[in-house]
Amino acid sequence: MMRLLALSLLVLAITPTAQADDLELSVKPLLCITDNRNSVCEMSFLVVWESGERGYYCLFNDYGEAPMRCWSEESEGQLTDDRSVRETFSFWMTGTDTANRLAEVSVEVLRMDSDDRRRKRRTRHVWDIN
Amino acid sequence: MTRPTTWLAILAVLASPCLAAAAPAEEKESNWRLGAALGYGVRSNPLVQSDDIPIIVDLDIAWFGEHWFFDNGDLGLTFVDNKALTASVVARVNSDRVFFGKTNTRFVNFDVAGAPLAQAVEFKPPDRDYAIELGVEMLTGGNWGALQLTAFHDISGTHDGYELYADYSFGWRQQRLYLEPSFGLSYKSSRLNNYYWGVTPAEAGVVTLPYEADAGVNWHARFMVAYQLDRRWAVSLVAEYERLNDEAAMSPVVESDGVLGWFAGMSYRFGR
Repeated sequence: MMRLLALSLLVLAITPTAQADDLELSVKPLLCITDNRNSVCEMSFLVVWESGERGYYCLFNDYGEAPMRCWSEESEGQLTDDRSVRETFSFWMTGTDTANRLAEVSVEVLRMDSDDRRRKRRTRHVWDIN
Repeated sequence: MTRPTTWLAILAVLASPCLAAAAPAEEKESNWRLGAALGYGVRSNPLVQSDDIPIIVDLDIAWFGEHWFFDNGDLGLTFVDNKALTASVVARVNSDRVFFGKTNTRFVNFDVAGAPLAQAVEFKPPDRDYAIELGVEMLTGGNWGALQLTAFHDISGTHDGYELYADYSFGWRQQRLYLEPSFGLSYKSSRLNNYYWGVTPAEAGVVTLPYEADAGVNWHARFMVAYQLDRRWAVSLVAEYERLNDEAAMSPVVESDGVLGWFAGMSYRFGR
């Protein structure tokens, strides 16, 4: 049983998806908060990637079909992306095969205010901090 | 011992079916608002011979339908909801009663004039009942802040009085950081005030005199700061001071003219 498990892990380790493990993608900030006064987040996102192998890599996001930028024969890179966002979206990296996402990071847009005024009413119960 | 996070996870699982049912793919706001805060806080008790009220857990359980809503013990029916105003009929439990559940019995050696007694006398602040109140609540707001006006009358025959309440709050957000100062007034009728803060001749003894409280106005100020850690977790700190009306503050069973409270902790919102 243990041998089978070890073999399975080995097979997983040498499959093409391992390439995704080699590439690290980080985005800051990861959370953007909107409310009734500011329904749009105007943010500057710092996107940083690093790969264990030099190669051809492209950065995409949900706002366009074309890559935001591609790097050739590089193992790391970074980009600052200024944009206004209203909804949760993702950045992702690909290699030469743009259909294969090597790493993906989602930026969450969280709307804190509600259109329903009752959700902001003060009750006389303990603290109303939520 | 089960860790708090484990309980939160269990609650999340229990809550998920109703949340999922109320949140279709287009991210319609769920009818439910479920949350819990864990931390530490204290609310002072203005009564003599009383204990402060510790706050370790604050649960937030609310459901908002098109007309009906339940909000942490308040049951409401909304009859006006437009761009300018939301008005509802609300039933609730009176909040003044909460202090009377944390009083202690002590033996007193001095009478009301300060003279020593031949024998120690047992004394405990009088008990009071919960009152069910029915009233109208009006909510309005905009970029200038939020205003809440309420008028409630006792329908349980407990105190037969009424309360008028106004609260203004202004929320200010800078991404994860949220600040919200608020303040307001609350007029308590003579019947309400006297029921909770008065001392009847039957309750008075050698230790205290009878006392009749007239109507009065409480005022309160509150400040909340919260920092959103992620979609569900936030760190919250809130402090509130409520000044009792003079009629209540002068009661012989009251030793402090204000109620000071604070709470600091982590809050978790389910289903967001």
